[in-house]
Amino acid sequence: MVIKVMQIILFPVLALIVGVFFLGLARKIMARIQWRYGPPLVQPIIDIIRLFYQNSVSHGRMFDLGIVLSLAGSIVAVLFLPFGRICPLSGSGGLLVILYIMLIAPLGLALSGGQAANPNISIGISRKLILSLGYEVPLLLVLLSIMTHYKTISIIEVVNIQQSTSWSIISFPLFVSGLSYFLILPAILGIRPFDISSAPQEISSGPMVEYGGKYLALTTIEHAYVLFISIALFVNLFLGGAVNPAIFFVKMLVVFVLSVCINAIFPRFRIEQAVKYLWKWPTLLAFLGLIITMAIRS
Amino acid sequence: MANKYSLHAVYFCTGCGIIEVPPVITARWDAERFGVIPVATPRQANLFLITGYVSVKTLRAIIKTYEQMYEPKYTVGFGSCPINGGMYWDSYNTIKHLDKYIPIDGWIAGCMPRPEAIFVAVTHLWTLIDKGMANGYKKYRDSYKSYRRNQEMALGKLEWPPLYPLDGGPKGSKQ
Repeated sequence: MVIKVMQIILFPVLALIVGVFFLGLARKIMARIQWRYGPPLVQPIIDIIRLFYQNSVSHGRMFDLGIVLSLAGSIVAVLFLPFGRICPLSGSGGLLVILYIMLIAPLGLALSGGQAANPNISIGISRKLILSLGYEVPLLLVLLSIMTHYKTISIIEVVNIQQSTSWSIISFPLFVSGLSYFLILPAILGIRPFDISSAPQEISSGPMVEYGGKYLALTTIEHAYVLFISIALFVNLFLGGAVNPAIFFVKMLVVFVLSVCINAIFPRFRIEQAVKYLWKWPTLLAFLGLIITMAIRS
Repeated sequence: MANKYSLHAVYFCTGCGIIEVPPVITARWDAERFGVIPVATPRQANLFLITGYVSVKTLRAIIKTYEQMYEPKYTVGFGSCPINGGMYWDSYNTIKHLDKYIPIDGWIAGCMPRPEAIFVAVTHLWTLIDKGMANGYKKYRDSYKSYRRNQEMALGKLEWPPLYPLDGGPKGSKQ
C-alpha cells in the first residue's frame, strides 16, 4: 500500500523529468541537424524557472482552471502507463481509460484559451481539434487491432505477452498497425509536419498566444507530459515495453530521436493537407491491419 | 539568474535592422547558445529588440508591444536610428530619441551593427542584470506619467488606458 502511494506520487515526477529532458534534447538535436551548436540540455529547465519568476496576468477563472485541468489530465494519464515494471494504476482500466484521458489535455487548453478571446487562439484550437479528428481515427483502429490480437484491454497484459513472444512491431499481422501508428506519431506529438495548431509564423503560436509567465511554464510542463505519454504508449504497445525502467527509457529515446529527425526535415502541412494525409495512408494501413488481424484471429 | 540565461526576444520587425536578425538566430551565429530565441508574441517574451528606425506609426505599435510584455522585461535599441535618429536625423516622420517614450536598457550603436554586436549586447545585458542595473521596467513604472506625456506629445491622444495610475496613487503594478 505504502509502495503504491509512493509510486503514485513519484511517478509523475519521473515522467516530468523524462519529458523535460526530451524537450531539451529535441532542441539540441534540431540545432545539430541545422549545423548550429544549440542550447545547453538544461535550457528548458532554465526557461521554466524564468517563466515561474515572471509576472503574468489572468484573463478569467476558466483561463486558470483550464490549464490545471489539462495538466491534471496528463498526470492521470501518466499513472495508467507502465514504465518498465513501474505501473501505479495500470492494473485497472487499461487502453480504454488511456483513450479517454488523453482527450482531456487538449480539451483543457481549449477551455482555457476560449476565455482569453484572442482570434489566434480560436484558429489554433480549431486546427488542433480538426487534427485530433484526423489522427484519432487511425489511432482507434490501431488500438482495436491490438486489442483483437491479444484478446485483452490491459496494457500490462499486452506487455507481458510481448515479453514472452516477440515485439508487436515485428510480428506478422501487427507490423502493419505499428507502421500506421508511427506515421501518425508526429501528429499526436504536434511536431512538424503537423505543428499546424501552434504555428508561430502564421498564427503567433496559436493556443499559446496569450500565455506568459507561469501559465506558459505550466503549458510547457504539459507539453513535456504529452511527449512522455504518446511515446510511452507506442513503446508499450509495439516495442514490447521493458522489464526495467532503463531499457524502457532507451526505447523511448530511440523513438523520440526518430521523431525529432522527422521534425527537423519536413516543412509544415496546411490543415487540409494534414487531414487528407492522415485519413489516407495511416487509416488505410490501420484498417488493413485490423482486417488481417480479425481474419487470423477468428 | 534564470532571467539572464533565458532571454526570449519578441519577434517584431521595426526597421531595416531586422535583416541582421535571421543570421543571428540561424546556423552562422547561433543565438540559441545564449538562450536567446525569437518568440511569436510579447506575452512570452522578456527581451525587446528595437531593430532600426522608428517611425511615428511604428512607435504606437512599439509602446503597445512593450506594455503587453510581462515584467521583468528588457529593451535593447539596435542601430543608431533609435539612439538619435541616425541618418533620419532631420526626417519629419521618425522618432529621434526612443528612450523618451519607452525605457531602454542598452544600445547597440552602428549603421548597421554586425550580428556579433547582438551577442556583445546580450553578454553585457547579463552583467547589467547581475548588477541590478537593467531596471528599465521599474523606471517605466515609477515615472510613467512623464513617459505617457511624451507618448501623447508624439502620437496625440492614445486610445488605450494608462498601464499604471497617472495620479501618483499607489505604485501597484497591474501586471
